[in-house]
Amino acid sequence: MATIFEQIQEMGIKQTVITKLDETVERLTVGMNINDIRSALRGDEPRRPNPRLRPHADSFWFHIRPSFYHTEVTHIYPTFRLGWLSTFMFVWETITGIILMVFYTPSPLVAYSNMWNILGNVPLGQLMRNMHRLGAEVMVLVVALHMLRTYITGSYKKPRQFTWATGVILLLFTALLSFSGYLLPWDQLSYWALTVFLSGAEAAPTPPGIDPDVFNGNVLLIAQGGPALGAGGLLRWYLLHVLLLPLLTGIFFFVHYYKVVLYGISLPPGREEIGEDTAKRVPRNERTYFTPDIATNELMWSALTTLFLVAGSLWLWDAPLETHADPVVTPLHVVAPWYLSWSQGWLKLADKTLVIGFIPLLLVAFIVMPYFEVGKSRRYADRRIALTVAALFFTFMLVSNWMGSPEFRVNSSPDREVSIELLPEEGTSAMLGVPYDLMPEGTYLPGQPISGNPHLTYALEEFQAAMYRHSCTLTGNSTWYECVFDESTPIETRKYSNHFSDDVMPDPTAQLVVEEIQPGLKKLTLKYKAVSPANPEEFLIDAEWVKYRHADSNYETECRFANKSC
Amino acid sequence: MQVKIVIGTVAFMLTMMILGFAVLREPARLSQYTDAAKGRSIEAGAHIFENNCATCHGVDGDATECYNSAGEQVGCQGLPLNNYDLLCGDPTYRMGTLNWAGTKEDFVKTTISAGRFGTVMPVWSEEFGGPMRPDQVQNVTDFVLNWESEDLCANEPVRYAWPEAAADYLASADGSAGDATNGAELYVTYGCSGCHGDTALEGSNAVGPWLGDIADVGNTRVDGLDAAGYVYQSILDPNAFIVPDCPTGPCASPSAMPGTFAARIGSNPTDMADLLAFLLGN
Repeated sequence: MATIFEQIQEMGIKQTVITKLDETVERLTVGMNINDIRSALRGDEPRRPNPRLRPHADSFWFHIRPSFYHTEVTHIYPTFRLGWLSTFMFVWETITGIILMVFYTPSPLVAYSNMWNILGNVPLGQLMRNMHRLGAEVMVLVVALHMLRTYITGSYKKPRQFTWATGVILLLFTALLSFSGYLLPWDQLSYWALTVFLSGAEAAPTPPGIDPDVFNGNVLLIAQGGPALGAGGLLRWYLLHVLLLPLLTGIFFFVHYYKVVLYGISLPPGREEIGEDTAKRVPRNERTYFTPDIATNELMWSALTTLFLVAGSLWLWDAPLETHADPVVTPLHVVAPWYLSWSQGWLKLADKTLVIGFIPLLLVAFIVMPYFEVGKSRRYADRRIALTVAALFFTFMLVSNWMGSPEFRVNSSPDREVSIELLPEEGTSAMLGVPYDLMPEGTYLPGQPISGNPHLTYALEEFQAAMYRHSCTLTGNSTWYECVFDESTPIETRKYSNHFSDDVMPDPTAQLVVEEIQPGLKKLTLKYKAVSPANPEEFLIDAEWVKYRHADSNYETECRFANKSC
Repeated sequence: MQVKIVIGTVAFMLTMMILGFAVLREPARLSQYTDAAKGRSIEAGAHIFENNCATCHGVDGDATECYNSAGEQVGCQGLPLNNYDLLCGDPTYRMGTLNWAGTKEDFVKTTISAGRFGTVMPVWSEEFGGPMRPDQVQNVTDFVLNWESEDLCANEPVRYAWPEAAADYLASADGSAGDATNGAELYVTYGCSGCHGDTALEGSNAVGPWLGDIADVGNTRVDGLDAAGYVYQSILDPNAFIVPDCPTGPCASPSAMPGTFAARIGSNPTDMADLLAFLLGN
């Protein structure tokens, strides 16, 4: 072997550099030089021996991937790329998460101000946070759809039962990862979502012979790191989120993927004989090689998914940030994240302990399902019962989600419901979104048109609409629906209802008062009065709701994502 | 495959362009969110202030409800906060009277956190045993500081010019008609009795020296000052002479007595004559 100086003497500097570069590339790719890569990208036939197969034998990253796929499974159907997409999302979350970790301290003293620091002081910090949060939601969705697809195409059947079992566990970890991240901003949303979640732990069924108070009390103590959710709890959930759960997910991912490679991706059900598994017996003419076809395909999907996530984080959606977590102030309506909404629905169906006990049972049922459902055929026509069960379960989950939605929440007093719609404690609204300068001091009535001020006019229209939903009339006032009430109840304690709502104000008056109390700070007060029909001197409702609005608070910007025109 | 490479490349370039756009608008967005963080902190502070602080300091922070039409303090005990002395200048007048060396924000935050010794201002931060979390103290601080405006700071209030010597003051129109009965009431409403105790009951003083015998003792404290001159000087400038022995041990230096009486009594200067008449018993 000639030294580099001899080579330069022999070939000249240029040729030596090209040769060295070629050698370096060949070493890095474990077998493919620059010309091989170019020919692969051009779609040429490989030379013999095929250099594109060597990395699958000799390199670490490529040996994880199969060197070729059955062409039948490389189309959108049957995989819909969902497994690959789940992996992509996991990597995506890891990268954005590590960047966010740099700007985060898991302490109740600073976690919340860290959030505002990320939003207002870290270049591209908001984008990074949005991408992480959006990615988390997309990942839950993708993993769930991946499971649904695997069920529908019968891919959990022998020999892939264990792959399915690890997949169910990965779904659980994905949901837990997403949910454990919920607590970290330490705002009202995170604090109360986790508090509700942990109250489930308190109600969980205990093994027989053990005092539930002691058992569940200790479970709760461990989960919240103290008698109440505080510094200890935040640190625990942070470590779960950034350390334990990603680690476990990684381990189960590799087991899962090893099984996928070992058994191959199952072909579309109609493509093979009943009871046969031909995924690993791929005829030469049905092979699609990883290099270059699968690799370029995956690079394309990576680029497209990145494009969607970046653009979505920038224009479609902002990760919410509510006010600082406050253990003594419970928000009026605590809502579970959408992917847990079904559990809130279930709580309306049955006893808490029963529901909490049912969830792990369901998980176990999912895990062992392929060992009991041993029908040989994967064809849709032969799996009518299985597909019907799936459809029913899917419908049940959709209905449960709907039942857990705010549509079925327990309402507070009518004046508070109106107040929460117009001047919510958290987030924005039509009224808060009115630009500061377009909200002059004064007293305004619901539905009052303000000339030259479409923003305020719109807010007051919303005020009227909200009053309409939570009012009724005893005096024939045509503005509202007739009051409906139970004649048998005494007039002093009578509850009134209307077409929409079962507790409303009869013939109310309402107004919005705007005062500037400091430079750049306005006090918005909603005032309600409803006279008691039993005694004109007495008020059924005599309430006020105050919200402060600072000129710089940026509710207008927040509005554009809240599906509200402000 | 070529199509896929093209799609992937286009998507990658679009992503880079979008990121470039995001970088370009970033400075404006960052300052918008920095302002929003402050704005929302002020809003949160307004809620806390209304529920906890307004009773003493007034809903508008000017403590007007605390004074009757004659300018006498009634009911509540808070100082006005929407006020030149607290917010304008650097250091502000009140920071000066307390020898405060830190920033204005620290001054307000520390006062809220730790309360004000010798007054009814309680401790608020949970760090010192109060009910508020640190972020809530910060919210209220932001809210109080938000009262500062060009209008408020445009005109420095005219302060009463206290004569150098007590004799000159007592000879003036404001000082000539001391009313000991009113002085006894003022001794309580200005908060003197909180530290100096009941003048009729020796040993009732909690923090400062007992003043029941100040008519005699006052003559001996500072060379060249009689009792009236000494008490007059001590009220206006507590640090001019610090008594060696306090009920809690050696008296602290600077004096624990607030330096705010020159301003507070200055808004109603005949009160000084009443207080002197009461304390010196003539």
